[in-house]
Amino acid sequence: MNVFRRELRANRRSLIFWCLGMALIILTAMGKYAGMAAAGEQSISDFIKMMPASVQAVMGMSGLDLSDARSFFVVIYMYVALMAAIHASMLGAVIIAKEERDRTSEFLFVKPMTRAGIVTSKLLAAVTNAAVLNLVTFAVSFAVMGQLAKGQPFAAGLARMMLGLFLLQLLFLSVGSASAAIIGRPRASTGVAAGIMLFTFLLSSAIDINSDWDVLKFLTPFKYFPARDMMLDGGFTVFYVALAVGVAAVLTVAAYYFFKRRDLRV
Amino acid sequence: MAIIEIKNLKKYYGRSRGIEDVSFTVEEGEIFGFIGPNGAGKSTTIRTLLALIFPASGSATIFGKDCIRYAKEIAMDVGYLPSEVFYYDNMRVIDLLKYSASFYGKDCGKRIKELAGALGLDLRKKIDDLSFGNKKKVGIVQGLIHEPKLIILDEPSIGLDPLMQRTFFDLLGEENKKGATILFSSHILSEVQKLCGRVAIIKEGRIINIDTISSLQENSYKKIALEAAADVDKAYFSFDGVTSLDVKGSTASFIYKGSVNAILRKLSALELINVSIGEPDLEEIFMHYYR
Amino acid sequence: MNIYFHELRSYRKNTIIWVLSVGAATVMFLSMFTIYYESAGELVRLFQAFPDAILKAFGMDVAKIATLPGFYSFILGFLVLCGAIQAMNLGISALGREATGKTADFLLTKPVTRTQVITAKLLAVLTHLAVSSAVFLLVASASAFSVSAGGFDYGTFLMMTLSFFYVQLIFAALGFLVSVIVPKIKSVLPVSLSTVFGFYIVGMVGAALNDDRIYYLSPFKYFDPAYIAQYSAYQPQYAAVGAAVVILAVAAGYLIYKNKDIHAV
Repeated sequence: MNVFRRELRANRRSLIFWCLGMALIILTAMGKYAGMAAAGEQSISDFIKMMPASVQAVMGMSGLDLSDARSFFVVIYMYVALMAAIHASMLGAVIIAKEERDRTSEFLFVKPMTRAGIVTSKLLAAVTNAAVLNLVTFAVSFAVMGQLAKGQPFAAGLARMMLGLFLLQLLFLSVGSASAAIIGRPRASTGVAAGIMLFTFLLSSAIDINSDWDVLKFLTPFKYFPARDMMLDGGFTVFYVALAVGVAAVLTVAAYYFFKRRDLRV
Repeated sequence: MAIIEIKNLKKYYGRSRGIEDVSFTVEEGEIFGFIGPNGAGKSTTIRTLLALIFPASGSATIFGKDCIRYAKEIAMDVGYLPSEVFYYDNMRVIDLLKYSASFYGKDCGKRIKELAGALGLDLRKKIDDLSFGNKKKVGIVQGLIHEPKLIILDEPSIGLDPLMQRTFFDLLGEENKKGATILFSSHILSEVQKLCGRVAIIKEGRIINIDTISSLQENSYKKIALEAAADVDKAYFSFDGVTSLDVKGSTASFIYKGSVNAILRKLSALELINVSIGEPDLEEIFMHYYR
Repeated sequence: MNIYFHELRSYRKNTIIWVLSVGAATVMFLSMFTIYYESAGELVRLFQAFPDAILKAFGMDVAKIATLPGFYSFILGFLVLCGAIQAMNLGISALGREATGKTADFLLTKPVTRTQVITAKLLAVLTHLAVSSAVFLLVASASAFSVSAGGFDYGTFLMMTLSFFYVQLIFAALGFLVSVIVPKIKSVLPVSLSTVFGFYIVGMVGAALNDDRIYYLSPFKYFDPAYIAQYSAYQPQYAAVGAAVVILAVAAGYLIYKNKDIHAV
């Protein structure tokens, strides 16, 4: 419990920044949207709808329909997911690697606690952080959508999106912590976690542009929980949920396995 | 000629004290000790001399030049050994030493070999893989590489085994004989006693005494231990000049400062079995200052 | 000069990894041009049905959209994003790693002024960025020529590609400023990733909302690929802001670091 509390406290300030940043993005984007929707620029929506999917994708406005706030939120969700993924992957890597980075491993790992116990406390703290960011995102989105949805149902869709977001966060947390647990050099481990995150983001953008690459969707978590499906059509794909949970579980087990066995840097 | 001259130096970190009022002068060719417990302000003083931090008020000169304004020129002839070892990732010992040497525009190849030989340091190893003591040796070599006229040491011998410490002190002695001035900061008094001529004692950010080691020991203080025939009354020795009094049954020991005649009269009034009057070591004087 | 060369050497591996990754991403994205080109004809027909006002609002020129620079303007953002992360990492590490590696004591007790230390380090960073950008230019040009059957406007393409370097300069300068202000940055990547992506997202949101005032907030939009593709020119007001950011950040960095206490760690 003490390690858990210590980690919560150590990450508190950064978590507040992330929550503020997330709220800021959602609020400014949706606020600006409200202005545009009020001006009734319907012709723009029609225009966008006619563009080929690849062009919509690269312009970051797939399926944008200005008459429907939910559709606009789906567009913004891409960036919400990106921020959450950066937060999770870096948090997962740093929380495991920080003792070696700060040369405090001699302090912590000689305490009467197993390494697995320490990892568990740290991962729980990381999951708590991710959950808080998720809930803040949920709360802010819910409040904004309540103002803008004009009576269209959004609560269930939004809840599904946030559930998908949470799975995405867990997945990237496990990517970060596994790379830190396996690699051992603090700087290299954040590098690997960032590299994977960046690669999957670029790949998901490439798939948007080029539908021939759809078969590669399983390689990028950004494609596991499509925002449009979550919000409007109401469904998770069992395969992708299972894949996300499975990958996260395997990576977490790997993190424990390797961290228990490797030499610590002092 | 004064090599280091510090005048009323003051430094605060936000609201917490670094040093309050530090003044002292180190003459050419001296080995000058700078002692005080943790947090007294030794490192703050030294880091100011090195222009790593900037004083709130007061000034310091090295080689007669202002240590902040002429930091670069001064550094040419200063060697610094910090208490904690620094290192760049992924460098071999020889790479770091060559990099260090490159700042002084001299060819130090021979000197590196000599120093590394004397300390038994493997030049081809990666610094990352060295033990703490060996990293310390890297720190020593890089500090002495350019035959500096002034050597500043901040708690230098932590992490060296006794044998290596001796080799290190011999090295310093040689440098001193060649004309180098040394400022030696430490809280380990025995090494200061071994090495230094004069010492400044710092307490809570202020210099409380500057004197030669020998006069600190000889002139003012006597360490007295006695064994009496009967039990000694503690009150008997509670008068001016007596400190660190320790009475156990019929034995007593204390540090005395004052008239020798007065204490001898006091002692002769007792029925003594044994008595020793000697010079206290620096440690005991030190305790006296901090009481 | 010794600091310069030392720094140059110590970032070498890092730069190689970045250059290879960005190069691979460049080839991957540009190779999609052929697929894009097939649907672009259809797009052009569609666009011709729209009133000019709307097209203008989106900064789209029907004639340009089906060209290679038109396509390039869509994908360049991702590559610049990678370059920006690399640059910010370098900018932060240059001085930041002295604080974390406890090497500041080593370096600053040598007979060099702090100004000289900063200058040498910044020059080393600049060299690495210039080399990275040059390699990127080579790879992008080669891929562009190999995927475009007909010719394309290389002048415009070059202007767009060079924006990679300009954005790198901005983020390196920001990173440098951050490293001087923040006392001790323990992990560089989380800081640079969140900053760079933050600005990137701000720029993308600005684009989705079609609001060019938001562009002032995001260095990624100071050299907006869409604009360059269409007009074969930079937008002077944004470029000026970019230049001002670099100059101010570097000048402030010098000033702060010169007068900063270097604490023992």
